[in-house]
Amino acid sequence: MSRAGEPVLELRNLHKSFGETPIIRGVTLVVRRGQRHGLIGPNGAGKSTLFNLISGQFAPTSGDILLNGRSIAGVPPYLINRRGLSRSFQITNLFPRMSVAENLRIAVMGHQGHRFTLFRPVANLRRVSSRVDEHLEKLRLQLRRNDMAGDLAYSEQRALEIGMALATDPEIVLLDEPTAGMSRDESAYVVELIRAVTEGKTLLVVEHDMSVVFDLCDHTSVLVYGQILASGAPETVRADRRVQEAYLGEEAA
Amino acid sequence: MTTTPPMTLRQVVLILLGLAVLTVLPLMLSPSLVNAAIKMLIAALFALAFSLAMGQAGMLSFGHSAYYGLGAFAALHLMKAAEEHVLTWPTPLVPLVGAAVGLLAGIVFGWFATQRTGVYFAMVTLALAELLFTLAPTWNSLFGGESGISTMRMPSWAFSFGNDTHVYYLTLAWVALSAWCLWAFTGTPMGRLAVAMRENEHRLRFLGFNTHLARTLVFAISAMFTGIAGALLAIANEASNYTIFSAQASANVVLQTFIGGAGTFFGPALGAMVMTFFARVTSDLTRSWLLYQGLIFVLVMLFVPDGIGGLVSMHARRLNGGAIKHLVLPYLLCVAIGLLIIAGVVFTVESVYVLLSDAYLAQRRAAGGGVVPYQLFKWKFDPLSPLTWSFSVVPLFIGGALLPFAKRRTELAWSRALDEGER
Repeated sequence: MSRAGEPVLELRNLHKSFGETPIIRGVTLVVRRGQRHGLIGPNGAGKSTLFNLISGQFAPTSGDILLNGRSIAGVPPYLINRRGLSRSFQITNLFPRMSVAENLRIAVMGHQGHRFTLFRPVANLRRVSSRVDEHLEKLRLQLRRNDMAGDLAYSEQRALEIGMALATDPEIVLLDEPTAGMSRDESAYVVELIRAVTEGKTLLVVEHDMSVVFDLCDHTSVLVYGQILASGAPETVRADRRVQEAYLGEEAA
Repeated sequence: MTTTPPMTLRQVVLILLGLAVLTVLPLMLSPSLVNAAIKMLIAALFALAFSLAMGQAGMLSFGHSAYYGLGAFAALHLMKAAEEHVLTWPTPLVPLVGAAVGLLAGIVFGWFATQRTGVYFAMVTLALAELLFTLAPTWNSLFGGESGISTMRMPSWAFSFGNDTHVYYLTLAWVALSAWCLWAFTGTPMGRLAVAMRENEHRLRFLGFNTHLARTLVFAISAMFTGIAGALLAIANEASNYTIFSAQASANVVLQTFIGGAGTFFGPALGAMVMTFFARVTSDLTRSWLLYQGLIFVLVMLFVPDGIGGLVSMHARRLNGGAIKHLVLPYLLCVAIGLLIIAGVVFTVESVYVLLSDAYLAQRRAAGGGVVPYQLFKWKFDPLSPLTWSFSVVPLFIGGALLPFAKRRTELAWSRALDEGER
């Protein structure tokens, strides 16, 4: 096992333009093993684009992304996932007309290499089934296991969304606004759930809700107009004048 | 639909019963009906194979005739080689070559087509099939030019294959085996992956799946079983030509699958059998049979979008045995009303068809341009008499007027039947 504190994910002078429009303008960022790294920033700062670059949805225009020291810039998403980086989505992104257990099973199947297995019924894959049961229990969705994912309550869907990202057993998990659109109670429940299920994992979270970031993360970076404005412990970042002007001031005003 | 529980005892019994009926069927049918039954079985397999791509993986292919035709021509070449003693290959194993060619073509064509999804995917599959359709008539060595290829079934394994009964059992065996494979596929990891692709391909990419490869493989498996169906058709007809690649053949399997119910496993097979039989019967009776087929499709899409299979599974799922008695009378009423409306529609369509035909216009000219009676169903009708058109209007009017009443009765019966189920 690798040592705690060494870099898992490194962004080096990353740029991304759509046509003439630069969105990410030279981001350099290090996420270390075991860190719970929150990424905040005003609307349009490029947080989602940054996540899409890291997870392989887009290829960067220039710069590099290193996962455990190896470049993943421009690598297709499925290979990035197999190298140990997984993500959840801001808009719930499940298999709506499959059961909760089946949603998780697809993710576990992929991780255990049963991608194109043809000559064994899925019911006979015991190792897959037992992993699915573990995940269901962790996510507190045992009672919902046979319900269609599309029929779940919103917060349950969010829990499943996060659970799917974790079911491929990644080293580092990217969570894209895990509490978006939630009531305060739901949000508190999901934050607590995230803390429980991501025990021991490296985490990079985009969040709009400041209290969630300060609650969940031990490190915060602020992205403004495609550049990292500040990075450090949440309290330090919160105290930073530039950050207050660029972002927090917005809310205080 | 999305989970595959192990078969219930009832399902197993039903399937065995169905197989038993299909096994003794040719003993009771006339030779021409045995031939119709062969075509129905082949159509059923084609539809099952197609709906693996369409219903399960959500890939609407408009060019499945390509793999059907390639399977057929591969089989014909093999049969011809056996007939000319170039090699020995038992007739019952001819569909293997259809499977191989279907699989290969599915991998190659599928690799291109599955680069895109949705409408673009449908267009590419259509274009690939059209390519074969235009190529085949000019490619003599492979597709026999415009006249196509014909050959003979060779006797093998103590069967002469000289009559349709032997061909029927050969077809039944292959269709049953293939249907079982296709059903088993739905329970494998790859089968579940196919459904997940239909549901949300984008997410799969972030779960470690190479979705392009997955789509290609699922498409190729579908094409493989389509190739088997094509080979069975070649065995049954002992001939084929380029028209097997036509867009109409591709469209047919789409229509049959939707009429049968794309959301159920056996629905498409039912739809294909019903529509093949329907085409067989009506095409002998009337030249407007395609119009009726179109009408059926439109009506099913409007009022029973889940298709025949959806209707059957709804009844099986929601009703227990005893509750069905509440539905007998309302359903009989619906059938009677349906027959009335059908009678009205058929009389109208056929009358218009005759009145617009060249033959009738010639009669009028011969009679000096006046209106003359026309002949339909062995009777003479006067086109200007209200009595004639009452045969259209009266059944349609009565049927239409009774329809709301029948609807209410049916709804009432359903709620009673469901009540009983809960008690």
